[in-house]
Amino acid sequence: MRVGVVGAGAVGSRAARQLASTPAIAEVVVLDVDLSRARAVVASISQPSRVHEAPLQADADLPAGLDVVVLALPPGGHRAVAERALERGASVVSSSDQVADVRGLLDLHAEARERGLVVAVGAGFAPGLTCVLANHAAGTFDTVDEVHVAKVGTGGPSCARQHHDALAGEAIDWRDGAWMRRRGGSGRELCWFPDPVGSADCYRAALPDALLLVPAFPGVGRVTARVGANRRDRFTARLPMLRRPHPEGGVGAVRVEVRGRRGGGRDVSVLGAMDRPGVAAGAVAALAAAWIGEGQLGEPGAGGLAARVAAAPFLSELARRGVKAASFVGADAARQPT
Amino acid sequence: MRSLRRAFLALGVTGLIAAVLKLRGTGGVPPQTGGWRELSGPDLRS
Repeated sequence: MRVGVVGAGAVGSRAARQLASTPAIAEVVVLDVDLSRARAVVASISQPSRVHEAPLQADADLPAGLDVVVLALPPGGHRAVAERALERGASVVSSSDQVADVRGLLDLHAEARERGLVVAVGAGFAPGLTCVLANHAAGTFDTVDEVHVAKVGTGGPSCARQHHDALAGEAIDWRDGAWMRRRGGSGRELCWFPDPVGSADCYRAALPDALLLVPAFPGVGRVTARVGANRRDRFTARLPMLRRPHPEGGVGAVRVEVRGRRGGGRDVSVLGAMDRPGVAAGAVAALAAAWIGEGQLGEPGAGGLAARVAAAPFLSELARRGVKAASFVGADAARQPT
Repeated sequence: MRSLRRAFLALGVTGLIAAVLKLRGTGGVPPQTGGWRELSGPDLRS
């Protein structure tokens, strides 16, 4: 199987490394508009015969013969490259967490199905790993009533900019069968993440998680997503970024709370994971690409990972690759979001 | 005198904004019991 990784940043470089160490992948092509960045990523990988770089043209033209294209570009341009990939007969894995990207990619469902290809949308840390955790937690319930997602931390500079923009954007919540639009930066919740991240104040933001989770859990009553932020983040969200974003953020975490009914009563399950967001996103995207090649990512079409993967084996393989999930065990695991 | 009054006004407005920012939102209560446990073996068996 030949896989193209578009974007040689924090996520793309990790995805390329993960793919290069996957036996089923015969060749990995790292594409970037800046060829020197792609070259540096290739040079850092220890399997030079299976990985090489190529320039990404301005018109997003892709090399022929790719089976899967992993999009690790900055948010905003994923749909255009995904369309080119589908035209070239390649399935797509997108790590974007931008609402417009996710909507655009989900709209490719009919085209992907017609071509017999898969578009895995939101295959990163959050959404991505969070979708798989939600799926895994939901498997222990008879019915799922609510899913609440929270994330703290950012990957590379593009991720930091997206975090900044999301706090100034419009949050999309699913409530009682209807979409609700709420102001980004509102709705503070103290969320408890796996150690060593611990507690963080999280707020509504323009996050695409609900767009991916609602179709995966028919009949779900509420789906919300929040992102960790401090007061400076909230205060300056509507201004241009005051300083250049860091090359890569520190350790981040995700948390997924699923509420539902099992055994005749209401219950709650809280799952989470802790890692550098760029590392975890790269691992999730690479594994999704490998699973497409093995036919394990469901029927042709576009959708999030919650509806497409068998959660337990996916999490098990991620754990083998170093991204480990955890469960909160304790009487006070639950919180009630507003 | 006027500059002193302006300084007090600025301090007051800053304090007010800080109070609003601090108090807005419902926050939450940290868990008093329990903790995170890594998923492994039987947890990840399909």
